[in-house]
Amino acid sequence: MSLSDVLSPFSAWKNLFRDPVTIPDPLNDRPGAPRYRGFHQNDIEKCIGCGTCEAICQNAAIDMVAVAEIATKPGDSGLRPRIDYGRCCWCALCVDVCMTSSLSMSNEYKWVDHDPDAFCFIPGVDLKHWDSSELGYRRPEGHRLTGIERVAMGELEPEVRADSFVEIVAGYDLEQAKLEADRCVSCGLCVATCPTHMAVPEYIATIRDGDYEQGVRLLYQTNPFSNVCGRVCTHRCETSCAARHEGDPIAIRWLKRHIIDQVTHDRIKQIAAEGRVSKPSGHQVAIIGAGPAGLTAAFDLAKAGHGVTVFEALPAPGGMMRYGIPEYRLPYDKLDEDVDVIRSMGVEIRCNTRVGEDISIDQLREQHDTVLLSIGLHQGRSTRIPGSEHEDVVSAVELLRRITFGERFDVPTTVAVIGGGNVAMDIARSLARMQRQQHGQVGVTLVALEAEDLMLADREEIDEAREEGVVIIPSRGPRQCLIERDALTGLETVHCVSVFDDQGRFAPNYDDSDIQIHDAGLIVEAIGQAADHAFLGESLTEALEWERNRIRIDADGRTSESWLWAAGDAVQGPDVITAVAAGHRIAASMMEAFAGTSAQTH
Amino acid sequence: MRDLYDRLKTAFPLGELTEQRPDLAFVTVAKEQLRSLLLHLRDQEGFTHLVLLTAVDWLEEGNFQLTYLMNNRLACRDLGVRVMLPRDPASMDSIHDLWPTAATYQRELREMFGIDFPGSPRVDEDFILEGWIRTPPYRRDFDTLKFSDEVFAPRPGRASSDPTEFMKQQLYPDKT
Ligand code: SF4
Ligand code: SF4
Repeated sequence: MSLSDVLSPFSAWKNLFRDPVTIPDPLNDRPGAPRYRGFHQNDIEKCIGCGTCEAICQNAAIDMVAVAEIATKPGDSGLRPRIDYGRCCWCALCVDVCMTSSLSMSNEYKWVDHDPDAFCFIPGVDLKHWDSSELGYRRPEGHRLTGIERVAMGELEPEVRADSFVEIVAGYDLEQAKLEADRCVSCGLCVATCPTHMAVPEYIATIRDGDYEQGVRLLYQTNPFSNVCGRVCTHRCETSCAARHEGDPIAIRWLKRHIIDQVTHDRIKQIAAEGRVSKPSGHQVAIIGAGPAGLTAAFDLAKAGHGVTVFEALPAPGGMMRYGIPEYRLPYDKLDEDVDVIRSMGVEIRCNTRVGEDISIDQLREQHDTVLLSIGLHQGRSTRIPGSEHEDVVSAVELLRRITFGERFDVPTTVAVIGGGNVAMDIARSLARMQRQQHGQVGVTLVALEAEDLMLADREEIDEAREEGVVIIPSRGPRQCLIERDALTGLETVHCVSVFDDQGRFAPNYDDSDIQIHDAGLIVEAIGQAADHAFLGESLTEALEWERNRIRIDADGRTSESWLWAAGDAVQGPDVITAVAAGHRIAASMMEAFAGTSAQTH
Repeated sequence: MRDLYDRLKTAFPLGELTEQRPDLAFVTVAKEQLRSLLLHLRDQEGFTHLVLLTAVDWLEEGNFQLTYLMNNRLACRDLGVRVMLPRDPASMDSIHDLWPTAATYQRELREMFGIDFPGSPRVDEDFILEGWIRTPPYRRDFDTLKFSDEVFAPRPGRASSDPTEFMKQQLYPDKT
């Protein structure tokens, strides 16, 4: 007899202490396998109501339904999936595609009810005992039906771009754009977030179909500045994109640019003119300022047959799109193309015509039915620190304007920029380029009041500025401009501990023991802009209602004067696409006012 | 499994070995070699049990993939043998004479994927679908949604909202 024979009874006994494999009460207790595809669970806080589960279901078992306790907000439709178990086949495609991983399946599979309608339920809302089950089917790690990563955009390398104003971003080619467009699940959550509610999923679909003319048609339904917005839009839509929850948001802005890049300018003009009313209505509109708000309103009004004249003080149209945004982000010829389409609608743009000097606002009022004020913010604000009245302390907007004018001015070897927003980045990066051209090296220091992670500029602007040699120092407050024998020599800053007080009011708190001096032959202030309202004249200024230093407008952009509307940065801000949306609203509001009234005889 | 693979390779032209677990691996073999490989596995390598026979529809490539999962009880390991065959018309040699149970799998594959196994007992008889005249339902070009819309009555009271439209109603109803 071998030893193992002697021991074998004991080795059987040891199983006594193990968990039994058999189920003690098989009639009542029959758990599903750990990864069983049983009844659905949905984490309704995580779910964003994108409806992708509904779209993929091959049995039409899912409806998206409103749920009382869930509010609609940017990036969340407020709808939640309801599943009809009369149709569900438990394939789990809905779980596999779910954009947030909120949807899963428990391993529960027994459910008895006398009411057949009970089997149509909203997981996570209609509470079930399996809602908190840990076991069941989850999408396996790394298993994804939609692409997670954004197709990388070709950009000029820092060494190549640092001394040139050539456009940095290359744009997608056909193949890249199709790949990126393929990641979009067409949920449309982004549409509500876009200020002008562009038909994003529909125009992305035209890339998949290769139907670029239809793409342009869709873009022009809501936005006559697709060349501009396809490059410099603040792309808030992307913050609501369903794809951002478990990967990169769709590159909506770059896809828009891709569409407009594929169609010839002449064809774009034809498409934009579709539906244009050729018979003049007789109504005349004056628009002051050829920025995105004014020109969008002009486009809509002219397309509907109204006479539009735009008065622009500067030599070329575009407003801040031309005089604020540097050429390496938005080439002038692309802006010119968008403006040309608007002109081709019959809009007359009179440049070098400053209202208040070349023509009075009273004259405009007399000669037109309505007037739109869309003048923008073209005056830089000053820090008013000691020494800031020196002639080499200038505002960013003024300097950006001079760069657009093509003025060749000498940039000293050291420059300090005050401000942490996008305008500060624009001027710092522009001056860095000029320094490299003139001196072969960069000497720009940018000081921002905010801490690194709270700076107002876009992250990519900050990163790219650093790549190009700009030294960015967060948490510094400007103290004084240093002047020796009439010459500017530097900027003194102090450590900024916090920018806002407990109530969230602007009240910077400084640590006076931490002082730095930054060499600077030129100091640029980029801390905000103001509008110049002087041309309105005393009586109109008196008559208008104001909200601090902005003209008060209603939701349609109407001022307190019945003939006058206002839009753009001077009343609203903060970006091109908001101005475009305002332009549309105002055109619609003016046309409503025209309806039923006959045109003035001018 | 590597040892087994190396031995098999001397006699059969095999594709790459995919090792999923220490006791589970897959190899691909040409259609013509399947029978002799299965016989060799059964008689020389101890893979006496056919665990299952199943198919995958690689619609885009125009192929069906058959997987014959073989088990070696003594060694406690499984080897999946994969065969690719053209999708249309799909036909494969029967192995019911090697494992009688194969006839049942083959009948199921005939019904669900439309893959023929000439000579396999009762292969053309209905299996679980009764009187099915449409595209075999496991083929990926079978439109499940269309089928369920045609065959099943909609449940009264069901309605769905489109997220974009719903958000417009909730957040910006007056804007055009
Ligand atoms: S796919 Fe996921 S996140 Fe989107 S609605 Fe369905 S459950 Fe919610
Ligand atoms: S871009 Fe994003 S949010 Fe918009 S439709 Fe596509 S997936 Fe949805």
